Amino acid sequence: MSLALIAALPFLGALLPGLMLRAGRNACATATGAVTLLALLGLLSHLPAVLRGEVVQARFEWLPMLGLNANFFLDGLGFMFAGLILGIGLLIIIYARFYLYKSDPMDQFYTYLLLFQGAMVGIVLSDNILLLLIFWELTSLSSFLLIGYWKHLPEGRQGARMALTVTGMGGLALIGGMLILGNIAGSYDLTVILENREAIQQSDLYVPALLLILLGAFTKSAQFPFHFWLPHAMAAPTPVSAYLHSATMVKAGLFLMARLWPVLSGTDLWFYLVAGAGLITMTLGAVIALFKDDLKGLLAFSTVSHLGLITMLLGMGTEIAAVVAVFHIINHATFKAALFMTAGIVDHEAKTRDIKRLGGLRFLMPVTFVIGTIAAFSMAGLPPFNGFLSKEMMLHEAAHTSTLFMVMATIAATFSVAYSLRFVFHVFFGPKRDDYPAKPHDPGFGMWAAPALLVVLVVLIGLFPKTMVGSLVATVSKAVTQTDELPYYSLALWHGVNAALIMSIIAVATGAVLLLLHKGLDRAWIAAPRPEAKEIFDALIGAITRFFSWFTDLLHDGAMSRYLAIFTAACVVIVAGAFFSADYLQGTRPMLPITNASIIGFVLIMVPTIALAFLHRNRYLSLVLMGVVGLILSVGFAYLSAPDLALTQLSVEVVTVILLLLALYFLPKETPKESSPARRTRDAVIGAGAGLGIGALMYALLRREPDNIGWYFLENSYTGGGGNNVVNVILVDFRGFDTFGEIIVLGIAGISIFAMVAALMRSAGGKRLREMAKDQVKIGDRHPLMMVVATRAVLPIAIVVGAFIFLRGHSEPGGGFIAGLVVAVAVLMQYMASGLEWAQARQRVAYHGMIAVGILTAAATGIASWFFGYPFLKSTFGYVTIPPLSKFELASAMAFDVGVFLTVLGAVMLALAELSRMGVAADPDQPVNTDPMDIVTDGGAIRSATKDS
Amino acid sequence: MIGADLTTALPEIVLALFAMAMLMVGVYGGKDKLAEPILYATSALMVMLALYAGAQSLDAETAFNGTYLKDGFAQFAKMLILVSAAVVLVMGKSVMAETGLLKFEYPILIALSVVGMMLMVSAGDLIVLYMGLELQSLALYVVATMNRDSTRSTEAGLKYFILGALASGLLLYGASLTYGYAGTTVFAGILSTISEDGMSVGLLMGLAFMLAGLAFKVSAVPFHMWTPDVYEGAPTPVTAFFATAPKVAAMALIARLVHDAFGTVPGDWSQIVALLAAASMFVGAIAAIGQRDIKRLMAYSSISHMGFALVGLAAGTAQGVQGMLVYMAIYVTMNIGVFAFILTMRRDGKPVTDIAEMNQLSKSEPLRALALLVLMFSLAGVPPLVGFFGKFYVLWAAVNAGMTWLAIAGVIASVIGAFYYLRIVYYMYFGAESEPLDTVRAPVQGTLLVASAMIMVLGVINLFGIDAMAALAAEALVR
Repeated sequence: MSLALIAALPFLGALLPGLMLRAGRNACATATGAVTLLALLGLLSHLPAVLRGEVVQARFEWLPMLGLNANFFLDGLGFMFAGLILGIGLLIIIYARFYLYKSDPMDQFYTYLLLFQGAMVGIVLSDNILLLLIFWELTSLSSFLLIGYWKHLPEGRQGARMALTVTGMGGLALIGGMLILGNIAGSYDLTVILENREAIQQSDLYVPALLLILLGAFTKSAQFPFHFWLPHAMAAPTPVSAYLHSATMVKAGLFLMARLWPVLSGTDLWFYLVAGAGLITMTLGAVIALFKDDLKGLLAFSTVSHLGLITMLLGMGTEIAAVVAVFHIINHATFKAALFMTAGIVDHEAKTRDIKRLGGLRFLMPVTFVIGTIAAFSMAGLPPFNGFLSKEMMLHEAAHTSTLFMVMATIAATFSVAYSLRFVFHVFFGPKRDDYPAKPHDPGFGMWAAPALLVVLVVLIGLFPKTMVGSLVATVSKAVTQTDELPYYSLALWHGVNAALIMSIIAVATGAVLLLLHKGLDRAWIAAPRPEAKEIFDALIGAITRFFSWFTDLLHDGAMSRYLAIFTAACVVIVAGAFFSADYLQGTRPMLPITNASIIGFVLIMVPTIALAFLHRNRYLSLVLMGVVGLILSVGFAYLSAPDLALTQLSVEVVTVILLLLALYFLPKETPKESSPARRTRDAVIGAGAGLGIGALMYALLRREPDNIGWYFLENSYTGGGGNNVVNVILVDFRGFDTFGEIIVLGIAGISIFAMVAALMRSAGGKRLREMAKDQVKIGDRHPLMMVVATRAVLPIAIVVGAFIFLRGHSEPGGGFIAGLVVAVAVLMQYMASGLEWAQARQRVAYHGMIAVGILTAAATGIASWFFGYPFLKSTFGYVTIPPLSKFELASAMAFDVGVFLTVLGAVMLALAELSRMGVAADPDQPVNTDPMDIVTDGGAIRSATKDS
Repeated sequence: MIGADLTTALPEIVLALFAMAMLMVGVYGGKDKLAEPILYATSALMVMLALYAGAQSLDAETAFNGTYLKDGFAQFAKMLILVSAAVVLVMGKSVMAETGLLKFEYPILIALSVVGMMLMVSAGDLIVLYMGLELQSLALYVVATMNRDSTRSTEAGLKYFILGALASGLLLYGASLTYGYAGTTVFAGILSTISEDGMSVGLLMGLAFMLAGLAFKVSAVPFHMWTPDVYEGAPTPVTAFFATAPKVAAMALIARLVHDAFGTVPGDWSQIVALLAAASMFVGAIAAIGQRDIKRLMAYSSISHMGFALVGLAAGTAQGVQGMLVYMAIYVTMNIGVFAFILTMRRDGKPVTDIAEMNQLSKSEPLRALALLVLMFSLAGVPPLVGFFGKFYVLWAAVNAGMTWLAIAGVIASVIGAFYYLRIVYYMYFGAESEPLDTVRAPVQGTLLVASAMIMVLGVINLFGIDAMAALAAEALVR
């Protein structure tokens, strides 16, 4: 049978239990068993080839781009594990048929079990390590379903959580390790990797790969310091414990270590990590097991201990130790599965697993007693059972490694004897009790058949090791070590009196004594403070969670200022990093002479800027300072021969200040002080970093010769656009389309502000605003006479200036944009000086309409050029003479500029007028000017300055 | 000439015109009464445009003087964006309606932001890039604050807007530096300048500024701060949208920029991208551990996932881009599934977001719990679920590009990240006994949840061929 089919059978078969359940529980179990049996037979069909030392392969392409292929191979090691998985799986299926209660959904159980079985078989048959990883995680997933099968048991939860967390994270680490391994070897196929021992061990990545792989293996096989999860996973139904935690899942880690043994072992690091962890686990598990009162808890820690034993043997790195490891894997699987099933029978019949509530069962459950005793004696390492053989060989290896190993191994063996005997004596011997939760009796044949078969194996292997498993052990060991010749060893009961035998005798004797002293020791154990894995795990998880929460809160406290600080600092670092990673060439452009005027300008910009940083809490003062900076900036533009920019800057500055002034009316006069000096220092450092960085960037840029793009405009401005003012020509001609877009945006912005303010005044916010304005202290003279007179005198002049700026715009500094702003400022001044009501009464212009007319004019200009066969907005110009004026130039762009002018004026007026209307709405009791130059008297009444005089 | 240009950019134009027309219909029609039909129409149009994009030939075309590109890469990203946006719109409809937020502007704003995203992935020019990005962002700022009556929502939206404006400023600053030193804004022009004159320090700094600005859009650490706040504050359907299409667009845009404009000098940008990637993976994984709110948790999860996608980009190879695209496709699918679940989280009829609410879900709703279990394992990157292949692709690309340290960092980050995904599974299956969540009848969300989980399982067969498509797309970009 093809290997792929063997691996796929359980998955395909997983559909059966659900379908067959309707035909009865027997049919359901039979179908499940048949699937497993079929797979097992398929596996056995390869037995002759495997024993000949051949490697059976099956290869399919899956995602070849990734190197992920469904490649399977079968050698001795894979055969042994697959045999254990399927063989014991079959027994478990039979056992579970009788173990599960009527109320348990059997189909679910068998489905999960088959899924798990398939995943396990997949692991041991995979050639491709990516495929192996997939099966590896599938075992985690399906085992999780199995462990959680009895959801109603509360103690199961914590166990499942630990199992999930530990093995899940270990699995991900394993992925990392395997990817590195595959990368070193240049292939993800195990057959290739196993041939690359030299390359792998000499690679720089050997250490990280080894650490990550061992992390995966140790977590899966519950090796120290990850040994704690396994005993807590025991809340699962007993068939699950027997299957997962004795024969299969926990052995996956061992399998992996054995599989990669040829390429990873042999280094010092491997020895210390693997043999060390194994030694500690073996001893620790054995000691704890003695004091577990839960039958399954005892077996769980015993499993931990035995897994440690095998790990230690693999860690030793010698071929003979590997042989012993292989032999013990077989032995452990047989007796431990039998023991778990025995424990399950006791639990099932007596309704308790607490050793302290049991005893005297030998008369009530004679069959179970025999099975349990033989298996337990094998676990204790007593002759003539199979456990004895491999334990002797292990002790022999330990004795030859170092004194430490020898002592520790003896201690572990001692406790192993003690807890095994305790299993027998405290459960089956002693007086019969009458307080069992249920009256125990032997179960039906179906339930004890499976453990009985295993026990027969225990005895037979113990008595005739060579005949039973001799050739299998040899084949498997050759596969593990990847050698053709193994060193001499002998599978036999009697090796003469040697160190191992003496250690063994000591262990049995001391173990028996320990059991006799158990009562006292148990009290001492319970009284003694000892680390409780579950609590440590909880505390650890809790501490990690708290620490990370603290970290997160530190990073994300919801404060905008912190976000901005991190944001800015990160930017400075990244850009500075970019700068320093490249070679910087000093610009060649000569510096301009430093004149007195430029120094004054510089100081006038720097002083208010720095002052602003300190005085920004006083908002009005900040505004003034910002105004100063803006004005000096426009002077700077003029100084640097950019009159257009200077004019624009000037008018924009004025409009901005007025806008902010209006907005300030609704805000508190001062910003509250919220930050500590330390934070302000931090912000100062970040701010200085960013500012200096930008300054340096500016300097670097300005020291370079400007790019020649400017020359194009200078040369073509007059010939192409008919204007000497290049800036204006760019705006209305070269980049007319941009300007067209911009005025549309400006228009939309104006209308949006209008709409939003109107909506705001009607909403709850508007109400708050009205409440707030009442408390403010107001100046007595709202409309100072001087200002009223001055603004009115200025208005006509300003409008003329606006017209002038507009008309000269195409050839001299100016243009529609600036003109619009100038006129807007002139009109706004009337609002400020004489009040909204007064100003509104005297100009009934629909500014919405003005915006629309502006945009439409601009659009019409653009469309007009289509009629002359030119593209949109293509401008033309000519010279006309209208008497009595002299000849002047008329460009089509002028019409476009009219559009710009109207839009700018409309948008600014609409927005600002609406903001000032908000101010009035906020304070409706304010007296309103009715006549020119009204003044407010002390009583609040209005007196007309003109009429009364 | 212009006709050909318009044909090339037809999908964007159609969607933009549609959005504007719907705006008029909405304003002068029945306002919010029309929200539902507009939503479905928008969704249907997006699906049709996705099909249209998929049916186009893979030959590269340019329009508007090389400022708009249509190639395999753009088509792949557009299909992903359009389909995910359409699905998320339909998926969130019922919840928006329940919470009274189903305004007719909602689908229109989503449509406009999708137009922006489509422009982003097709940008062949810095100006177009910026235009697409801003169109997308502005629409997103508004939908983020859709729930105007919630202080939390508006506060988050305001922060998002301010930081977003700052990021846009940085981007523009970088773009102008780039323009100053390359003399052009067209990507092809920048590329040829670099290959002729080499990478000047000005261009490098311009690139650094632009990457910082774009990192904000993919919420890469340390520009990610807005993400948890906005995810938590926005209505859940909007959060679902944030987690999907915009991330694809921004990620594709970064790929477009670094490869089309700076493709000859991967050494100069891959270090920056690698640092962003590593920081995102770790901060995302670590910060999520302490979260109790599933929406905040998903925010950190998405930060971490963006880190992984950036790993692919950091590799600087076609393989890396392919990995990134595969990753994004998988990421989007998983997120749709998870958010389909979050949308149905109710207790006593009220939406809840605390993860402890999921206690014992497996008992009351085994199917939903199982689907979410699959998605969580997939998000954690556990094989054989499809999520694993996404991670595998990008890490593999990083290793092949000689960035083993980044791959190892990615593995460690995924181990840390597994913790909080598994915790959700733990709650569902082994959590404390408590009243289970309401059993909600939500056919759309339920179907999407299960479908998404099914994809995670069935995708292992051949990833639905998405890797081959991504390979073609990546070849179009990396030459």
